[in-house]
Amino acid sequence: MAKVLEGPGMGLMKKWGIHVPHYVVVTSADELSKLGQANDWMKSSKLVAKAHEALGSRFKLGLVKVGLDLKEAVAATKEMIGRQVGSIKVTQVIVSEMVPHKEEYYCAVKSTREGSEVLVANCGGIEVESNWDRVKRLCLEVGQAPSPDALEKLSKDAGFTGALAKKMADFAGKMFTCFDNEDAQYLEVNPVVVRESDGELVALDAVTLLDGDAKFRHPDWNFPFAAEFGRAYSKDEMEVMAVDSKIKGSVKFIEIPGGDTAMLPAGGGASVYYSDAVVARGGKLANYAEYSGDPPDWAVEVLTEKVCSLPGIKNIIVGGAIANFTDVKKTFGGIINGFRKAKGDGKLKGVKIWVRRGGPREKEGLDAMRALKDEGFDINVFDRNTPLTDIVDKALQK
Amino acid sequence: MSILANKDTRVVIQGGAAGVNAARRMAEFCYLIKRPLNVEAFVYPPDAGKTNEIPYGSGLIAIPVYKTVAEATKNHPTINTSLVYIGADRAMKGAMEALDDSHIKVVSMITEGVPEKDAKLLGAHARKLSKVFNGPSSIGIISAGACRLGVIGGAFDNLVLSKLYREGSFGVITKSGGLSNEIIWICSQFADGITTAIGIGGDAYPGTDYVSYLEMFEDDPQTKAVVVVGEMGGDLEERAAEWYGAKKRRIKLIGVVSGFCQESLPKGMKFGHAGAKEGMKGEGSARSKSDALKKAGAIVPATFGALGPAIKETYQELLKSGQVKEIVEPTTLPRLPKSVEEAMKADEVMVAPLIRTTISDDRGDEPCYDGYPASELINKGYEIPHVIGLLWDKRLISKQEAEIIKRIMMLSADHGPCVSGAYATILAACAGIGMSQAVAAGLIMIGPRFGGAVTDAGRWFKYAVDNKMNVDEFLAYMKKNVGPVPGIGHRVKSLRNPDKRVKELVGYVKSLKIKTPCLDFALQVEQVTAVKKDNLILNVDGTMAAVLVDLGFPVDSLNGFFILSRTIGLIGHWVDQKRQDSRLIRLFDYLVNYAAPKRREVPPLK
Repeated sequence: MAKVLEGPGMGLMKKWGIHVPHYVVVTSADELSKLGQANDWMKSSKLVAKAHEALGSRFKLGLVKVGLDLKEAVAATKEMIGRQVGSIKVTQVIVSEMVPHKEEYYCAVKSTREGSEVLVANCGGIEVESNWDRVKRLCLEVGQAPSPDALEKLSKDAGFTGALAKKMADFAGKMFTCFDNEDAQYLEVNPVVVRESDGELVALDAVTLLDGDAKFRHPDWNFPFAAEFGRAYSKDEMEVMAVDSKIKGSVKFIEIPGGDTAMLPAGGGASVYYSDAVVARGGKLANYAEYSGDPPDWAVEVLTEKVCSLPGIKNIIVGGAIANFTDVKKTFGGIINGFRKAKGDGKLKGVKIWVRRGGPREKEGLDAMRALKDEGFDINVFDRNTPLTDIVDKALQK
Repeated sequence: MSILANKDTRVVIQGGAAGVNAARRMAEFCYLIKRPLNVEAFVYPPDAGKTNEIPYGSGLIAIPVYKTVAEATKNHPTINTSLVYIGADRAMKGAMEALDDSHIKVVSMITEGVPEKDAKLLGAHARKLSKVFNGPSSIGIISAGACRLGVIGGAFDNLVLSKLYREGSFGVITKSGGLSNEIIWICSQFADGITTAIGIGGDAYPGTDYVSYLEMFEDDPQTKAVVVVGEMGGDLEERAAEWYGAKKRRIKLIGVVSGFCQESLPKGMKFGHAGAKEGMKGEGSARSKSDALKKAGAIVPATFGALGPAIKETYQELLKSGQVKEIVEPTTLPRLPKSVEEAMKADEVMVAPLIRTTISDDRGDEPCYDGYPASELINKGYEIPHVIGLLWDKRLISKQEAEIIKRIMMLSADHGPCVSGAYATILAACAGIGMSQAVAAGLIMIGPRFGGAVTDAGRWFKYAVDNKMNVDEFLAYMKKNVGPVPGIGHRVKSLRNPDKRVKELVGYVKSLKIKTPCLDFALQVEQVTAVKKDNLILNVDGTMAAVLVDLGFPVDSLNGFFILSRTIGLIGHWVDQKRQDSRLIRLFDYLVNYAAPKRREVPPLK
């Protein structure tokens, strides 16, 4: 699931014939002033300026300003660019025209197991959230497009009447076309409004989640995906991501500040069970990590170094199920090199290491881990006969 | 019995290297259960028409590769299952091709990172055709004692340890590939093992869900209980719970769900498989899934660690109620033949070496010449002549000897374009021939008449010195037994037009005040022969030979000095012609004396 910011999200909607307000995404106040000279709408309309970053509660943070003229918008942009909110620094501002309107509506398309669902409500904004029962749904099988009649019925069911019912049906149809053709997983417009100047339905705000796995068939997705955490990726996280994108198999790393139990398990499934075991034992996770698909030893070594660099850790859980084809000796070789480097850099003082693993060449891999004891590591090694998460119990025993 | 994969399963694998690797793993399993290989064909257009060699026991089985699934099933009509090992961008097309083939009933896809929409389309298409589409991101399907599809089950030792050679009573369904193996292992240790284990893949919308497989297990009398390993996200576990609770089921259901850690993670932070994402209002959370399973009457251990004991308890109940009987394990099982390397490591075989070397060893992190690491030689100031000494004569030569060799090489590196070697290389270069062949063409010219007399010259001068012959005795011996003296005589040089290279080399060696019996003897021979005929002088081959014998190099290595040195020149000529982009050359007919018979009539064939 890949989150897309408002600007490129609205761009995709516009591509499929959905009316969106005029907007520009700028990286400086200067850029906005210049654009203001070139675009009449910036001079004739009231404007909205919003920090164009993956931030929640932008309104509260003062990162949304409404009812501005161009000069005020330039000032607002100047004020927003460079502001630091937690780990995110504002680098872009989206400035769009304010569309005068009276009524607000809601429209979304979401992915379901069977296919998708088109959602329509004749209320919008925050009103729809407290009146969720007013949202009407049209379920669609994958590969099936909604008929104009079905959309019109949906629109009428949601309480739209007369010409507006037809318009809302048409709007929802375009939303579906955009969703289907852009490999979206979730599209939401809240609010949809009637533009007073021409009576057209306009999408005022867009939430766009795309299927990152489908990027290969969308050469025009030239925008970056936004971090899904509500925070920026750290340097170490980005380094591991860069390694991940280069290798066969995968390595993953997410920091969780404040924890003291570091995780270095194998497998997308087992890693979550290990995290559960830490939490169940009252431990505090310092990170999430995972390697799988028989990655090269150097990639696991990089991951290990990052895990060893986490501040304030007391235990490292090198867990893993019985691998199908990940070579235990090879991947452990990477971990061992990472441990040695970390120790050489003065890290791992007082840190206990807990190992449990099975799979191809498990004996050689586990023996190599055991041998680290002789190098002064505080390491405890278990084989397949110790149940998967028991090392967590042992590590966190008071 | 088992589900999905059984003894009648015949497989086509769609894909390249990863598919071949899977076939190897499948062959190991077939060998363990003493059944023929279940892979009939590959589909991989780049290799169509070739075969992939799959080790089976100690032999190799050639499996044909086809361009299309239709071709594969036409030639192998027993194929009923396809495994898809194609990249994410082409996986859907390949899997559709398999689903649309009337022979194929089950398609399992290992490909990861397949777009959600593609997976949904494949699932819907399979349901429409009443076929099974398993995956994407599936590690595979394994039915104990019957059939392995993909790499599920891991290495051969693990297949044995997990008792996959014979059927048990537990079905397994997991999203995670790694955990499928873990559960199979647990079932074999805490109970009697598995019937079938299925990896459905960790994507958000797997092609086939738990319920479809639970229904199949419910209809399989051998399966008494099913272990479901779930994850937060989606509603597959809830649907399974709903199915299980809907009416009295024959099978027992044991379920665990991961993702409880989510509750104590910073908001918005998610990890694990692609499908592991929580919906709004807590739906799809580990807790809601666990609760749903519990409510439906499934056995839900509190943690993953409690899963083994829960399985054990279920097995004991089944034993007590007589639904299962204790299994007597076979006393012997096929053992996977070791590779020669493995067997040698285990001191189980001795192999007579094919070749023997006494000069060099490449098995460490860098080559060692006669035991000395190359980098250490460099760092301690040794040079190319020392490497020659080590590799040709197995000894670390002195600085002085190295200097002589360096001079020999410098003097004989090239001798212009007209000599046989250079001319042959140039001719080849002009014909557009590549460096190694063109240089080889030049080297082929080195022989008794051009550059190749060094070894023979050295051999006979040494013979004379070793046998304390005087010059007359030597010349008489040579005349009688050998012929012209190698190393004596030159095509163009003579006493009056001496070869500067010889003068240079002799002068230098003599200045060193070292013992040079061979060189001294060769010079005495020249004194005699040059009197008889002006051009019977000691030539450069003879001089090099005598000096090198005096330095102690083995006679058989001596031509090497000329070959090595002249290679420098030959490479130069090839590069030179290449740089000039020289045209093809051929002889002019006026340079040929056409002495063949005049044109005449061909007589009728008799």
